[in-house]
Amino acid sequence: MELLKQISFNLQNGFDEAVAELTKEAVEKQIPPDEIMNNGLIAGMNIVGEKFKNHEIFLPDVLLAARAMNRAMEVLKPLLIKDGIPVRGKVVIGSVKDDLHDIGKNLVAILLKGAGFEVIDLGNDVPAEKFISVAAEENAHVIGMSALLTTTMPVMKKVVDMAKDEGLYGKVKIMVGGAPVSKEFAKEIGADAYSYDGANAVETIESFFREDS
Amino acid sequence: MRSIVCFSAEDTGLSRREILHSQGIPDEAELSENLKRVYTEAIEYFQELAEPKGIMNGITTSVFEGVFRGEGLNEEENPVEDIYRKSDYLALFAVTLGSVLSEKVTELFGNGDYATGYMLDSISSCAADKLTDLTAQHMQLELAGREPAAASLRVLGYSPGYCGWHISGQKELFEVLHPEEIGITLNESCLMSPIKSVSGVLIGGSAEIHEFVNSYPFCHTCRTKSCLKRMRNLKLGQ
Repeated sequence: MELLKQISFNLQNGFDEAVAELTKEAVEKQIPPDEIMNNGLIAGMNIVGEKFKNHEIFLPDVLLAARAMNRAMEVLKPLLIKDGIPVRGKVVIGSVKDDLHDIGKNLVAILLKGAGFEVIDLGNDVPAEKFISVAAEENAHVIGMSALLTTTMPVMKKVVDMAKDEGLYGKVKIMVGGAPVSKEFAKEIGADAYSYDGANAVETIESFFREDS
Repeated sequence: MRSIVCFSAEDTGLSRREILHSQGIPDEAELSENLKRVYTEAIEYFQELAEPKGIMNGITTSVFEGVFRGEGLNEEENPVEDIYRKSDYLALFAVTLGSVLSEKVTELFGNGDYATGYMLDSISSCAADKLTDLTAQHMQLELAGREPAAASLRVLGYSPGYCGWHISGQKELFEVLHPEEIGITLNESCLMSPIKSVSGVLIGGSAEIHEFVNSYPFCHTCRTKSCLKRMRNLKLGQ
């Protein structure tokens, strides 16, 4: 248990090398991978999330912790797959067609991975068809779309409409975000949720899973 | 009057305070050692890789009317129209920090160095805004050099995508200004490349013409609210 606390502590401080090494050590000591993930890594990220909410730390600190989480997950992921332990959920994410801004989308992807979700990042300039086909092929739980330009926002509606046509609507939750996007716009196009920043995106997606459980 | 101005990274005069503010980090915050390291690294990248430059071209009110109208998608009531009609001088402008910085941000994210990538992106965004101010100052000095009475004019930049000026206005602006000359291009969705670029109009006139009440319907969804700071600075004579 002490080892898991060390993992959590080092993760909170963004010491990625130490987190990766301690995770390997925990695996060698036969600690089950899901226990390492839940009681070491996710426990640490939960504290990071709380401190961020309370303005005790700031986004770069969270990103350093997320990097450490990713390093540890590189060690754990093959073992979790081997043991048949499901990930928290699968999210297909991207910036919509003709939109090349990707910082916001990247932040959401990083924070989601940090929270233990599997993220399929389609990058930027992603056509509506791609969101739909990948979500269907991968049995994704959520499609997350980002737009930074009012001119590219209609692609979001196209994805919602295509999800309806392809029978994915209701099965796959659709979340939208980006500077010009609003809660009202999300509602208007039939998206399930709008999120205003990375931390809120993680909370929103977590709430989808609470609703479903 | 068409001119191209090359700046240095130092010219942007960015302060640590404003960079941290842009990330929601208040003055009194105690920064972790990690955050301080990330900040230093990102600033060094910025100073090494930024290639700030701008282009501006004077334009008459009648020609600007067509540029501003663009595809006819502006908000019916907007402050920019009121302001430019009262102006003494107008110039189209575009500024950029170049493509190398954006490529570095992408590289940092790709390598998992998210914190530095994010910090460098924030610094670049702040610097792009500063470049607009620098270009406005440049124009102000140029005007004052030509005509001493113009020294009292205040020059501010306004951009498509803000204050009711529809983002599609950039198409017409690019047709007239040709900022391709300094490496800025525009795609079909009105996205400029390099990403850290700003385009718009520099409006010169008395300080009063730039004042307006931010109660337009689009103001409540505006996230920057930068007009308030600009108007406050005008009142302070800054």
